[in-house]
Amino acid sequence: MSKINTQTEISAPTFWEQYKRKPLGMVGLVIVLVYVFVALFAPFLTPYNPKQILLADRIAAPVWFRSVVPQYNDAPSTIRTTLGPDEWAVREATGGKLVAEELEGNAISVIEFDPVARDEGISEDGVDTQEYGYYEEEPAKSAVVLSYPIAYNFSPPNTFGATFNYWIDASSDSKTELECVIETPEGKGYSLWARSYTGAISSQPARVDSRDLTLKQRLGLTIFDDPAPTIFSSKGDYRLVLRATSTSGEEPTRVYISNTEFYIPGKIHGLLGADHMGADLWTQLIYGTRISLSIGLSAAGISVAVGTAVGIICGYLGGVVDEFMMRVVDVLMAIPTLPVLIILGAILGKSVWNIVLLISAFAWMGTARLVRSQTLSLRERVFVEAAKASGASDAYVMLVHILPNVLPLVFAGMVLRIPAAILTEASLSFLGLGDPRVATWGRILHNARGFGAFTTLAWWWLVPPGLAITFLSLAFVFIGNTVNEILNPRYRERS
Amino acid sequence: MTFNFAIFRLMPGDATKMIIDPLFTPEAKAELERQFGLDDPPFVQYVKYMSSLSKFDLGLSFSTRRPVVNELKERLPNTAVLFLASFTLTTIIGISVGVYTASKRGTFADNFVTGAGLFAYAVPSFWIQLLLLMLFGYYIPILPIHGTMSAPPPDGFFLQFLDRIHHLILPAGSNVIVAFGSWALYTRNTMLEALGQDYIVTARAKGLPENTVLRHHALRSVLPPIVTLIFGALPGMVSGAVITETIFSWHGVGKYLMDAVMMQDYPAAQGAFYLIALAVVVCNLVADIVYGIVDPRIRVGEGGAK
Repeated sequence: MSKINTQTEISAPTFWEQYKRKPLGMVGLVIVLVYVFVALFAPFLTPYNPKQILLADRIAAPVWFRSVVPQYNDAPSTIRTTLGPDEWAVREATGGKLVAEELEGNAISVIEFDPVARDEGISEDGVDTQEYGYYEEEPAKSAVVLSYPIAYNFSPPNTFGATFNYWIDASSDSKTELECVIETPEGKGYSLWARSYTGAISSQPARVDSRDLTLKQRLGLTIFDDPAPTIFSSKGDYRLVLRATSTSGEEPTRVYISNTEFYIPGKIHGLLGADHMGADLWTQLIYGTRISLSIGLSAAGISVAVGTAVGIICGYLGGVVDEFMMRVVDVLMAIPTLPVLIILGAILGKSVWNIVLLISAFAWMGTARLVRSQTLSLRERVFVEAAKASGASDAYVMLVHILPNVLPLVFAGMVLRIPAAILTEASLSFLGLGDPRVATWGRILHNARGFGAFTTLAWWWLVPPGLAITFLSLAFVFIGNTVNEILNPRYRERS
Repeated sequence: MTFNFAIFRLMPGDATKMIIDPLFTPEAKAELERQFGLDDPPFVQYVKYMSSLSKFDLGLSFSTRRPVVNELKERLPNTAVLFLASFTLTTIIGISVGVYTASKRGTFADNFVTGAGLFAYAVPSFWIQLLLLMLFGYYIPILPIHGTMSAPPPDGFFLQFLDRIHHLILPAGSNVIVAFGSWALYTRNTMLEALGQDYIVTARAKGLPENTVLRHHALRSVLPPIVTLIFGALPGMVSGAVITETIFSWHGVGKYLMDAVMMQDYPAAQGAFYLIALAVVVCNLVADIVYGIVDPRIRVGEGGAK
């Protein structure tokens, strides 16, 4: 025990010389550097951010499935188009035209109908303005029909949707009808949405979602049928058609259409697919690197700092302080950590910082014991006695003589504690006790378990986070063991 | 040690705020507080709590309005079965694999176990369990995916027993797979150390069969440190049990704790935690006894063997 080589004679360059010769240590270092790189440059490695949802269909498969899994050969990737005045093609314009305007920096499409001076004698011609379906044109009316081609060369999608905002400027005697239709390559038309108005109206949102019950009824389907596969049943050129008809009054009727979006969520998406909300899993994975690295490093740093301080003070001072602290250490070591963390985490609230503190609070005991035993032997050494004899204070001796001599031990211990902290954090997040606002690896697994990775057999949702944790932990174990071998040769036998 | 645990309980009163629904009327709130004894000052609550604890009265669950003790009683056997099965299998398999690889140093099996031990340290065990669940519960659906037995349970004692075993395979098996590597590695390393000792050379020189040397000479001498380590790892295993029960929806104490925390059912969480802490204390006692059995030197009245 007394013959421990604790003189920190190894200088930084020598340490590096020795470290370079250990293959496992180098492998670990390279892996950690890769993770650090990913964490730092996460925004450049993905076009999305981890909170963006609805990027694809729920639990979309990775893009490379297309070439690997036959079932996904022609699976749809996400189609999301914003339609402005430039995108629309005017198919028909009788008594009106399409005008491009700008509102608060956004290009909006305006359908402008020519004013009609109407005779008093002409009465309403009895058109049922609430009529649904794809109907024949009333020749008397002005009509503007816009269409947008959608090339769809995939297998049928699960859902689709369209949204736009519209408002109408018109005199009170005018009647305006709006209708949204999808035309299939076979020439069949499905009327998704229609409204008719008298006079002017303020801004209204229109939302078409293939999962809506009203849409199913409108198309004459039962609630168990799915409009999306019914409409997009074949490959070819589809058309999204927006039809506006109007009987203008004295004023020209103007129909404003803004924020138009057409959306078919893809069944395949990105490098690693999408989760239950359609968020990109690759993005979540690489942003998770940041959380794991910072929680691992800070929790290990805090716990080792606390442990070192306690260990040195107890070992050096001895007596009642030592006795008391060592009992505390005994008790804490016998406590099953996770149940305590679960309860405390629930009480203190879910935040990353809380998790770091909690993990550190239950991880400093090992270091404290190790450092204490080391200090016990150090304080009997001649150089400590000499320092004391020449009048050095306790604090001075602890800081200047003891601390540098336990540092090598502590450093290796800290590296080896990082994977434990990472694993604890992942477990807590997996149990749903992590910060709900940040994407962590544990959280991805939590979502995977809770939101259908099993029933859909979405292994691509489950495997990557676990692999990420494993490789990072392994890397730190390699580094820690190598550092131990160099700095603390006495511990070479251990693991 | 036992008393330390009791002191280390969460102080009641911390969580009173989060239990009561903000939508309650003040009267209903007061009535509820009175029912659960939350209107006393924290210190009185604490004293009450400690006294009822000694009588195993853990209060009423907020969510089910049943005594927590009853709920725990229902779940404890399940947890005990799972825990004992995993624990026994892990140690037996771990130690035997360790002894085997120590005798075959440098072979493929040896390298494999060394790798597995390292892997076990780095891999998140709940992830392995999730993968196994997906593999055997969904891809190849041969094992039940949740619960302790089928609902409704099959008729007949024997069939029920088989049904329970069937449900036990995945949780217990995954625990073993996750944990045995580190035991095997530790056993292997201590065995290798022991095999280099003089008395082993003597035993071999006597012409004893290799098996006898391994089991009676080497293993016997390394058992005490292994047992110490195994029981020292008990708190960690208990932590693991919470996750295992949650993943496999095992109707046990650990899952009860998780559910209670999620539903902010404070007495339930407290009771479950109390039971878990108690279990760890009992395990430590057992450890001391087992230690006495495997290490003849600390057995009273038998003097120093060896």
